[in-house]
Amino acid sequence: MRFAGSIPQICKGMKKEVNHISSLETDLIRRAQGGDESAFTKLVRKYESLVYSFAFKVCRDKEQASETWQDTFVNVYRKLGQFDGKSKFTTWLYAIVVNNCKMKHRKRKLDLASVPLESPRGFHEDPLLDAEGHPLQTIPSWKETPLDSVMEKELRSVLDKAIQKLPVDYRIVFVLRDVEGLSAEETGKILKLSVPAVKSRLRRARVFLRERLNPYMTP
Amino acid sequence: MKPKKLNCADVVDHICDELDTKLSSAKCREIKRHLAKCPNCAAYLDSMKKTIRLYSTYPDPRVPSKTRKKLFATLKLPK
Repeated sequence: MRFAGSIPQICKGMKKEVNHISSLETDLIRRAQGGDESAFTKLVRKYESLVYSFAFKVCRDKEQASETWQDTFVNVYRKLGQFDGKSKFTTWLYAIVVNNCKMKHRKRKLDLASVPLESPRGFHEDPLLDAEGHPLQTIPSWKETPLDSVMEKELRSVLDKAIQKLPVDYRIVFVLRDVEGLSAEETGKILKLSVPAVKSRLRRARVFLRERLNPYMTP
Repeated sequence: MKPKKLNCADVVDHICDELDTKLSSAKCREIKRHLAKCPNCAAYLDSMKKTIRLYSTYPDPRVPSKTRKKLFATLKLPK
């Protein structure tokens, strides 16, 4: 049996499609930069969910997310001429929404870097051993996590409260890396941070959130 | 000189940094061996993965239509 196209042919086809998508987007951006309002409207429609979802995940408040969303697209409208195409459009867009999220939180300055990393409850540098020399489990296992569709109200409230306690600079790194799935390099470009700085913030954010969810997730 | 044996503190540090990278280096292979034997580090890694999963599966809200209408009115954009 022969496939309709060889693997190299299929890959070539995929590459063409990717280039096609990106050239459509480039064309849309160029038209919007040239003052075509319907092109700008299409651009808003294309990225409105990305911006709103990110703003909501950082703010955890619908009203603040709506204000951030609106401010971001007003900034995009005013600054679109400055986009030079050297980075991905989403990298440029994330940088704007990140700045707007920070503006909303600028009054609340906490420096997590000065807070020592917390060890999990029941943690020992070397495990405690039973009479037969086997390690004892002193860190409790977590319950199974529910699927998003059945995530109950109480758990959502726990998640919201935990992330709201995290300083916004760390929250942003956590959302970009672990929720949006961006690479450390792209996150660094958006935030103008080095990759080691991104990793350090991510590590502290993960430990911080894990510790706050721990009482809820253990039996 | 014999390298220092990894303890739970080293493993927990590594888990926090490199949760999603492939365990292929010599250090990573040692961590994998430690995780297979240590119920505490295994429970910690699992809880860290669940923390991320909970946040990444949090339902995405939709842009409220009144927010969109307000933007389009502000920028005088066609609907």
